[in-house]
Amino acid sequence: MEFITKKPPIKSNQQRSYKRSLNLHISLIIVSLAAVLTRAFIAVPEGETWLPDAMFKTFLMLLTGAFISVLIELLYSIGEGKSHEFSEYKRLVDPINTGLIIALLLPTSTPIYVLILAVVIGVYAGKIVFGGNGYYIFNPALVGVLFVNISFAKQITYGETPLVLLKNALAGQTYTLKLLDLFVGNYAAIAIGSTSVILLVILFIYLLVTRVIDLRISGTFILTILIVSAGIGLVNFGTASGLMWQYVLVNMITGLTMFAAVFLVSESVSSPTSRETKMIYAVVVGVLTMIVRALGAEIEGIVFAILFGNMITPFLNRTVKRSNKKIFIKTSIILLIVVIFTGFALGFIVQGRLQEIFSAVVIGGLF
Amino acid sequence: MITDNRQYLEPRKVYIPLTDKTSKIANLKVAVEDKVLTGQIIAEKFNGKTKTPVISTISGTVVGFEERLDRFGKIIDHAIIENDFKGRSIELEPLEGNVAPAMVRNRLTECGIDQLTVDGIYTDIDFSRPVKHIIINAIYTNEPFISKDYEFIKKHAEEIADGITLLGIASHAETMTLIVDKFMDEETVDNLGKATVDKGIEVIIINSKKVQAWDYKIAKKLVNETLSNDLLDNQIIYTSVFAAKVTHDAVRLGMPLTKRQIALTGDAYKVNTLYEVRIGTPLSELSEELGGYDETSNLNIHVGSFLTGYQLESDEFSITASVDSVNVSSLRIEKEEVCIKCGDCNDICPAGILPQNIMDAELRNVNLRIVDLNTHECVECGLCTYVCPSKINVLEWVRRAKRRVG
Repeated sequence: MEFITKKPPIKSNQQRSYKRSLNLHISLIIVSLAAVLTRAFIAVPEGETWLPDAMFKTFLMLLTGAFISVLIELLYSIGEGKSHEFSEYKRLVDPINTGLIIALLLPTSTPIYVLILAVVIGVYAGKIVFGGNGYYIFNPALVGVLFVNISFAKQITYGETPLVLLKNALAGQTYTLKLLDLFVGNYAAIAIGSTSVILLVILFIYLLVTRVIDLRISGTFILTILIVSAGIGLVNFGTASGLMWQYVLVNMITGLTMFAAVFLVSESVSSPTSRETKMIYAVVVGVLTMIVRALGAEIEGIVFAILFGNMITPFLNRTVKRSNKKIFIKTSIILLIVVIFTGFALGFIVQGRLQEIFSAVVIGGLF
Repeated sequence: MITDNRQYLEPRKVYIPLTDKTSKIANLKVAVEDKVLTGQIIAEKFNGKTKTPVISTISGTVVGFEERLDRFGKIIDHAIIENDFKGRSIELEPLEGNVAPAMVRNRLTECGIDQLTVDGIYTDIDFSRPVKHIIINAIYTNEPFISKDYEFIKKHAEEIADGITLLGIASHAETMTLIVDKFMDEETVDNLGKATVDKGIEVIIINSKKVQAWDYKIAKKLVNETLSNDLLDNQIIYTSVFAAKVTHDAVRLGMPLTKRQIALTGDAYKVNTLYEVRIGTPLSELSEELGGYDETSNLNIHVGSFLTGYQLESDEFSITASVDSVNVSSLRIEKEEVCIKCGDCNDICPAGILPQNIMDAELRNVNLRIVDLNTHECVECGLCTYVCPSKINVLEWVRRAKRRVG
């Protein structure tokens, strides 16, 4: 027996990084199962593939995503001489998470080779190149997804998703949506991960309690989407018809909004570290998402928005020197004003009336 | 879990350190073979400004001087006194009623009361600088895991309240604050409440289950300025209820500080106890009394608070007035994982600085950024390491950064 010293503090709390990624892992598996089951009751248009095919395809995609991701990390660690780490399940959790997220972010129509390419790019170029888990600057899953979204746009097709309908509605077309269908996930989805919003909300709360995700990122993100879409809806449809609230609701519960709030936005490694910057980051991501949704050619802007957020994260981290309540409250108020302003501005831009409004308010007010 | 309450007041020999954390020079007042009484001054230690007496804690014979390890892990001179088991003590006149500030100060110096709590942001009891606020911590914890049993406070509530008032008189303090816990049992809170009422002592209740540097926040609220590493610079004396109790004993009863209640915990001991010991007893003697260690694995000794204490390589050090708890447990080293940049350390830091960003800057060797991040405001409370989910010793990185930029 000997007395050995180590540096104090000698006690720590119950939180562990590994437990956090395990909680994320469990949630991802639940969402994956739900995604497979959701395919069972989505109505298939005439002449399309038979239903169980879509189910099997989803299952196959998830499996392939996870498998390829593990395979790449395993091959790399063999090169590094650390393959013995893979004998524990602990080491597999993180690769499987990345693989599953990539698969969940692609629609059922994606060919398997495209998915494999997405995983290879995401895990290799997005993660391993930077030094593996904990060192990457871009969310690896999104790197892969963005790559295939741009390069294989023809192969990745989806039907008339609620967001497409909304975009057309802004141009004056009519559409019908059933509220219940939206809640359970019974619609043509942009990605297999965009399943039942009820399930995602439950997982959101679970991950919030286990401190995997940060309310200051995910909460701010959801609030931003809510306020900006309400602004756009208000300007375009007015309060009289129910269209405005429909616009807000569809933006909130379909697409990848909830999925991103749960799994993507508050991915801790690639997001900022202090209170204020976390909120700024979330607002940037939210606003950018809505800009792409309302104005861009793409249907879903979250992938771009989050990657842009990751891009400015080092800059955000560099701008803060200290963090206290006063600065936090000040930042929150400024951000709230920015978000409300953006909402209305976007609404007018969609209508093409920004110039008119600008002249009326500024020039008309001056003279 | 503390299950036992024991006493060890008559050791054969005591080993009294002549210097301490701040006082590095000592003048001897006794020689070998001299007879000394309990409370007799055997040396005077000097910290560059003031002299403080070192007193004998038993009556007996001075048998020699020896270089030994002290509780801070430094090798310093100790006086060795052999007990004659007669228990003769010097006579100090009890001071009743209203007392003058100077009298209290003199009495505290005479009784060797100066450095009683050293962990974290606790200060010495030092009246050489102006003091405006007195904060007393009644939770008396070794944050966050040893919960002190409150028998001590329950029994001595009146004396503690009186001690706080005396400290207030001695320092001309404007405010006196007592920090108590939300989870204290009713009787303790009742006794403390009854004792402190009408004495101008403000009682603040905190939730000790949430570890978040409550004392720092309370001190900051009082002075409303950036706190320095040593709260005495901010005109605050911050100490524990034990200090209030011994102040009362010294002034009202004329009792010098010769005993200390310490908590001996950890899985290396067969029983965990609250021990009332004579100051100067080596820890090894106490451990023998408790039945020795469980010697199957390597151990580590931690003196003081879990977040800010000291670790030693030997159990031969003697218990001084500043030791409130000792933990001896088998060595457990948790594997460090990679930083996931969750920002938990940034959220909890009581000084409002950003440990994660400082660590990042230190890893990249960017001096300018370290200065920019107000690294000097760190009070080394250890909370950043406590909350880290990846088990990184963030505090050590911040310390390194502090040392780098001076």
